[in-house]
Amino acid sequence: MPEAVQVQLKRGVLELCVLALLSRADAYAYDIAARLAVAIDMGEGTIYPLMRRMQSDGLVDTYLVESSSGPPRKYYRLTPAGRTSLTAQKAEWLSFSASVGEILGEDQ
Amino acid sequence: MSRELFLGRLRTGLSGLPPETIDDYVADYAAHFDEGVAAGRSEADVAAGLGDPARLARELKAEAGLKRWEAERNPSSAATAIFGLLGLGVIDVMILLPILLPVLGVLLGFAITSVVGFGAGAFVFVLGPLAGAARDIGAAMLAGLGVMAGSVSVGAITALVTVGLVNALVWYGRLHLKLLKPALEAQEVRS
Repeated sequence: MPEAVQVQLKRGVLELCVLALLSRADAYAYDIAARLAVAIDMGEGTIYPLMRRMQSDGLVDTYLVESSSGPPRKYYRLTPAGRTSLTAQKAEWLSFSASVGEILGEDQ
Repeated sequence: MSRELFLGRLRTGLSGLPPETIDDYVADYAAHFDEGVAAGRSEADVAAGLGDPARLARELKAEAGLKRWEAERNPSSAATAIFGLLGLGVIDVMILLPILLPVLGVLLGFAITSVVGFGAGAFVFVLGPLAGAARDIGAAMLAGLGVMAGSVSVGAITALVTVGLVNALVWYGRLHLKLLKPALEAQEVRS
């Protein structure tokens, strides 16, 4: 079970991580996937269903940029709704993780 | 797994979606392979990083099914959404079946009652005046109309409950699909 819990936890914060990455700079999907795969050990493939969902939820939109090597790249950027969602989710996450940290701390 | 094999399995898993949607999804992963190989990784390494193509296809398909149900409320989109969630294992059939079957049975019963009742009402409405009930033609016709109207309202309520039930299933599936989001949305509504 610990493995399943870990997967669910990561799935829950993946959207928050993507929003945070995009708030610093626009990025293309491969770049986002590779960075998150290294940072939180997430399957790179899951980024694509997530990006589609975030796009249809209006949190991100896309534009094409010519690439020096190969076909143009699809870049993602935050929409105003995406920024609002990031602010809300970040506050929620920080207060949640602080509460959990407090409880875990008491245990020791 | 090679690039061709991965994309082929993904495409197979996505079958049933509109062709342009499939092309769109497959193009995302093809671009991912191009980027990975350009960055010096092997196709097998990129494929391993992406995960199981069949599982990804189920996830993409479930999401497409949910979107369709939200856009158009009809039996076919309801079936697509629910089968998509079943395919993901998000709705546990074994747990839900004992609850769902009786409910579906009752709903079906109401639907049949509504259709049969409407037919019976129409029968009384048309044939009542012709048959021996010549004493009171008006009463026979009114009774027929009443039964028909009652059946229509039973049918309408059955349809409403069915839509509500599918909505509840989709909500349940989504809750499991992404844990944080529904909670956050609820919070936005509150504030």
